[in-house]
Amino acid sequence: MGYVLKRLLLMIPTLLLISFVVFVIIQLPPGDYLESYIAELQAQGESVDMEKVAYLREEYGLDKSFGEQYLSWVTGFVQGDYGYSFEYDLPVSEVVGDRMYLTILVSVLTIFFTWIIAFPIGLYSATHQYSWGDYGLTFIGFIGLATPNFLLALVMLYFANVYFGTSIGGLMDEAYINEPWSWGKIKSVLEHLWIPVVVIGTSGTAGMIRRLRANLLDELHKPYVTTARAKGLPEVRLLLKYPFRVSLNFFIADIGSMLPSIISGAEIVALVLSLPTTGPMLLGALQSQDMYLAGSFLMFLSLLTVIGVLISDLLLAVLDPRIRLEGGVKK
Amino acid sequence: MLSKMTVKRPGKMKVKMKSNLPRLLATLLVVISGSALAIDPQPPETPLIISLESPMQAGVRGGTLRMMMAKAKDIRMLNVYGYSRLVGFDTKFELQPDILLGYESEDDRVFTLHLRPGHRWSDGSPFTSEDFRFYWKDVANNTELSPFGPPKSLLVDDQPPLFEVLDELTVRYTWKTPNPHFLPLLAGPRPLYIFAPAHYMRQFHPYYSDAERLEVLQKEAKKRNWVALFKSKSHPYKMDNPELPTLQPWHNTTYKPSDRFVFKRNQFFHRVDSDGQQLPYIDEVVVNIVSSSLIAAKSRAGESDLQARYIRLDNYTFLKEGESQNNYQVRFWRAARGSQFALYPNLNATDEQWRTLNQNVNYRRALSLAVNRHEINQVIYYGLATEGGNTVLPESLLYQDKFMNAWTQYDPAKANKLLDELGLVERDDRGIRLLPDGRSMEIIVHSAGEETEETDVLQLLHDHWMDIGIKLHIRPSQREVFRNRVFSGDAVMSVWKGLDNALPTSNMSPWELAPYSQQQLQWPMWGNFYETGKGNPPTIPKAIRLRELQDEWEHSTSKLQRWDIWQEMLDIYSDQVFSIGTVSGIMQPIVVSNRLRNVPQEGWFSWEPGAYFGVYHLDMFWLDDSKGVQ
Repeated sequence: MGYVLKRLLLMIPTLLLISFVVFVIIQLPPGDYLESYIAELQAQGESVDMEKVAYLREEYGLDKSFGEQYLSWVTGFVQGDYGYSFEYDLPVSEVVGDRMYLTILVSVLTIFFTWIIAFPIGLYSATHQYSWGDYGLTFIGFIGLATPNFLLALVMLYFANVYFGTSIGGLMDEAYINEPWSWGKIKSVLEHLWIPVVVIGTSGTAGMIRRLRANLLDELHKPYVTTARAKGLPEVRLLLKYPFRVSLNFFIADIGSMLPSIISGAEIVALVLSLPTTGPMLLGALQSQDMYLAGSFLMFLSLLTVIGVLISDLLLAVLDPRIRLEGGVKK
Repeated sequence: MLSKMTVKRPGKMKVKMKSNLPRLLATLLVVISGSALAIDPQPPETPLIISLESPMQAGVRGGTLRMMMAKAKDIRMLNVYGYSRLVGFDTKFELQPDILLGYESEDDRVFTLHLRPGHRWSDGSPFTSEDFRFYWKDVANNTELSPFGPPKSLLVDDQPPLFEVLDELTVRYTWKTPNPHFLPLLAGPRPLYIFAPAHYMRQFHPYYSDAERLEVLQKEAKKRNWVALFKSKSHPYKMDNPELPTLQPWHNTTYKPSDRFVFKRNQFFHRVDSDGQQLPYIDEVVVNIVSSSLIAAKSRAGESDLQARYIRLDNYTFLKEGESQNNYQVRFWRAARGSQFALYPNLNATDEQWRTLNQNVNYRRALSLAVNRHEINQVIYYGLATEGGNTVLPESLLYQDKFMNAWTQYDPAKANKLLDELGLVERDDRGIRLLPDGRSMEIIVHSAGEETEETDVLQLLHDHWMDIGIKLHIRPSQREVFRNRVFSGDAVMSVWKGLDNALPTSNMSPWELAPYSQQQLQWPMWGNFYETGKGNPPTIPKAIRLRELQDEWEHSTSKLQRWDIWQEMLDIYSDQVFSIGTVSGIMQPIVVSNRLRNVPQEGWFSWEPGAYFGVYHLDMFWLDDSKGVQ
């Protein structure tokens, strides 16, 4: 208990430090949001009223010093005020809106997809090491890992459009955007969903297969396995009950990085597929230096990472006695 | 908070007493506008009749037009495409009354504007001179909303006009000296707004609305003060507030943030076709927000009925392939820019050697002569472009061949001779000329790095300039960084698009040809001097002369005088090669659904003048399948 409390308290300075770094990095590129804005208008040929820009600079607080901007953002953040998005002319909390749910949907499904594919293949590969099946599946896995996601996304978009008539990009047919949920809408979402799930899932799957295989192989040749087998334990039960459970450590450790990825989605793929998720929004915010939107978003991701790491540490301790801390001096 | 209120009270009481009457009026108006909904949707009593020129046909009302944009902010394009303005340009780029019933101008000094009787906002409230008065008195001259006073474009010699309401449908603006800017600004793709929907905006104005209500509204919108609230609600151009009444053919019905915006027909729109049928023909315009890289692909899949934005020339063959399968047609309109890409020698560069050269006319001429425009045209633009300098296009009445051809005939020998005469004779072992201080002449051309096409052109230019002993390096960066480098003088040369307005008439301001604004890449500091008073005044006589001519134009009273000014400015600008043009008249592919009628086969895809589809009357386009529904 004391340990958990200590970890929680440690999170505060960590997050403060992260918030500072995030803010500095966002401010690093020359200029500010208004300069990006002027440049964009100018590219179009639209005129810019310098007085209006002066007004906006004051209104958005961009004329204040770095310290003041940072302080007002951080204090606001703690109170649940995430600042104002210049680009959308709305409070940050209102900008994110629906995108969050769709992102979570895509990510959670992707994670399940990864597991469903990766676990059986990993198990098979490890138990049939150096067999044709192992080589074949490993080969496919590596292809998944090596193909750039965005390319795969484009190829699949094309085929889905040509053969299934699915509209290109997005998560649903345009007619359903902003409409209340209905069967038609759910069907349309499912029709579109599989592409991002498969595309984002492939590389994760390949990685997971490799790790599961390696971890399992470590265990499979340990004496306790031989003992169990000698005692006549059925092969499948033996595998699932002992070595498999031990080899799951990496999987639990992954939770730390999984939590933020649920929220952020895969940015590049989401951009290519024009998904209504948070990824493209974050990229856009960074490009146009919409600093409070980008900053608040990055802070959320950091918060989730920190929490995720804590959770996976605790779970690991529960799962694997070797990691437990109560043992005190364990060398 | 409380003490603040009590301190303010004594002063405010008086105001409140006075403000009771307008507030009463306001509530009355709200009541009236409420009942106005009972009024049948209809155009004004004397609508604007748009005659159908063949091959245009009278259409059938109904249907949904789909378009795609890359950012939610782009929905402002519906204001541009809709192009409902007080006065607007027609397809010949002459000014015509549009929202206005008519106007009179005395020497371009006194403008009397007449509104259409019975004209209503999209919510059914009457559109009257009160909307002009509200803007002038309570917005432009409100010290909190406009701390710097009325917009600069309404000032002539820093003097605002005298504004008068003559009657419910007539207003007058009077300047002491002529203001030829006024009408073209009202007709701009992003117009100057001199009116606002008073009946709606009053609720956000402390003079009309009571403090508690305003505070509630302000809290709701999470705004710092009423000024911020007022401004966020009152962007007529952005079209992002569905509650804001408009005079455009379609009004937005979707709140942001969203990936799909639905625009519904304005039932009180002021234009009708020659059969008396109210426009727009199309009931609904849907704008889907899609990442820009997918727009060409989605257009090919037939997911847009009218698409030009975010489609480039190199998408043409890809789109053409899908034509029959997905029931659309790709048309070629022409981009109206002075030059697709132009090089801007920075006359305000900080490096003294380069600045001296950039300010030397023969150096600029040599650079221009060394450009093989024919090769650029053939290699990159399939030979479809026009080769020449950065000037007005042949279709403009102000055009003369000598502007387009000045110093643009490929002649490396002459260019070499010009450079030799400048004393740049020494070369290093690579054959590159040396600057007087011994550095080799390697020009870094700064670019915003947005288009591969630009890099391709520069790559060809590199080879052309090697022939005259100058090495070109490309330095792509980000748009803002790029501009700041030019403004500060770090960049010796930059590449950007050519003249924005390449189809001008003499009634449009020739400002792009003279030092006018910091945004001009060849003389940012001189421009800044005239724009804000910072920066430096021009030092070379020809640039000074251009500025004098610009001033003359701004005080000119007759079309003839303006004509002469334009001619002289164009002549100086081209002869002095203040920017080095490449090719112009590039094709812009436009994807048009086969269901969509009345879209011209050919046209100018031009921001200014033209408002893209604006002058071609998007409200006259109609969808053929709505016939089946009837």
